[in-house]
Amino acid sequence: MRVLEPWVAEPLTEFLRESSARLALVMTSSGQVIAQHGFTRSLDVMAAAALGAGILATTGELANVVGAEHGFGVIVHQGQAQGVWLAGFDTPRGRWIGLVVFGRESSVGLVRLFFTRFTERLVAAAPVTVPVREVLAEGFERELDESLRALFGRN
Amino acid sequence: MSIPRWEGMLREITGIVGVRGALIVSADDGLVVAESAMDGLETTDVAAFAASLISRAQRTARAMHCAPPTRVHITAESGTVFAVAGDDPLWLVAVTDTTVELGRLRLLLGDLAVVLT
Amino acid sequence: MTDTTPRLPGTTQGLAFLDLGERLRQRGQLDAAATVAMAGLARYPALADAHDLLARIRADQGEDAPAISSWHAALEIEPGHVGALKGLAFIAFRARDMVTAERHLEAAAVRSPHDTTIIAALDRVRSATPGPSTETFRLDELGSGLLLFDAQGMRLTGGVGPGTGESEADAAAAEASGLAREAVRATRFLGLGAWQHLVLEGADARVALVSIDADATLLVRRPATTPPGRLLASAARAADAAREWLGHSR
Repeated sequence: MRVLEPWVAEPLTEFLRESSARLALVMTSSGQVIAQHGFTRSLDVMAAAALGAGILATTGELANVVGAEHGFGVIVHQGQAQGVWLAGFDTPRGRWIGLVVFGRESSVGLVRLFFTRFTERLVAAAPVTVPVREVLAEGFERELDESLRALFGRN
Repeated sequence: MSIPRWEGMLREITGIVGVRGALIVSADDGLVVAESAMDGLETTDVAAFAASLISRAQRTARAMHCAPPTRVHITAESGTVFAVAGDDPLWLVAVTDTTVELGRLRLLLGDLAVVLT
Repeated sequence: MTDTTPRLPGTTQGLAFLDLGERLRQRGQLDAAATVAMAGLARYPALADAHDLLARIRADQGEDAPAISSWHAALEIEPGHVGALKGLAFIAFRARDMVTAERHLEAAAVRSPHDTTIIAALDRVRSATPGPSTETFRLDELGSGLLLFDAQGMRLTGGVGPGTGESEADAAAAEASGLAREAVRATRFLGLGAWQHLVLEGADARVALVSIDADATLLVRRPATTPPGRLLASAARAADAAREWLGHSR
């Protein structure tokens, strides 16, 4: 597990243990990665973050089109062997996104249950003052731009 | 079977003294399909844990070369969780306190699970 | 010359072989009785009573397997055939399988509730059935249906029943420990307090898991016909035996 913000580590560790999730990614709504577990290549992290943020943004627009006033809080993709849980949630640092990949050892129900607890714990654990992490944030933005270029073949 | 009929079935279960809630759970994903419960019982949590218990129970039975379980019943200090298989992947689940007449509940769940399709 | 007279099961003359075969059997003339029964069966292969007669003769001859086959044939033709159910119960009783004997006799009693011989047989089987207080718990035997394992899913002793070996017992310990962990978690989160026992009921077995202490759980496997209350009573006593075993082993 890798975290940019140390206070995210404990709630995320508990979430991973209780939900038996295989992969997890916590990011800002712009796709900046806050924490990840299970990914082995940074490119995969960047791609998953960009796609996850994109899917949630797209679905938000779809919610507007169909008149879903409060949007769709959660998107679940359920496959034969594994599923993906994608959800936005509010924190004192703004709107964040969680992307969770789970297998047959878990279920949507368990991920839902422990993800809710995770977001509650995260909100409670968030420091009151926001530390300035400009350098690191810029680094992420740059890496994200590079990953998007790589993904979509732009130069 | 229709959702209103399922709800009628669940109300019959919660009519037994000591039953705090009854729900139909999709064991595949641990989500609530229909429910009838008292305030304070988080049926979504019950569904998630019931599905997880059922999945673990099925794996244990497989390891023992036994047929898959059709009833899973857990007793704890302050109550019980009783789950009976309906048509796959549905399970009928009841949560009780310690005052429940377990034999009666067991029979009713068994009878109702047969028509849970 | 070929006899072309139609012989229906209800024809008294045609079914005389049943009475003759039974009288020969009771006199101990088993070979002659078998000849009569087989000749009758050749003419009336769809007659449950004929299969029942042959089964009784085979049972008297000590040939349990053919007897069981014949009684099953009778039950296929006539589900709930009382003679076949009584016969199967008798074979099970002779093999000291009281659970099966009781199951067959209960089915016979449902079909023929005023048959005093069935009620007497049920009393006999039930009195011969070891109750929880007389049950012995052999924790060190693979065939005992008692499996003690630790929180890490390692088998401490025992196995999962007759005909199973160490590999099944080890696999069951590994999976059942996950089930026990889930029981701890579920009851904690649902505010039900510490879990005490968990029961799984399937078509061929009933299984109880009992918490022995923080690091050990006992699995008890019994036939599907075991009444749930009796399974739990048995599991509670087996848990005492397991605690004693752990006391000596640790």
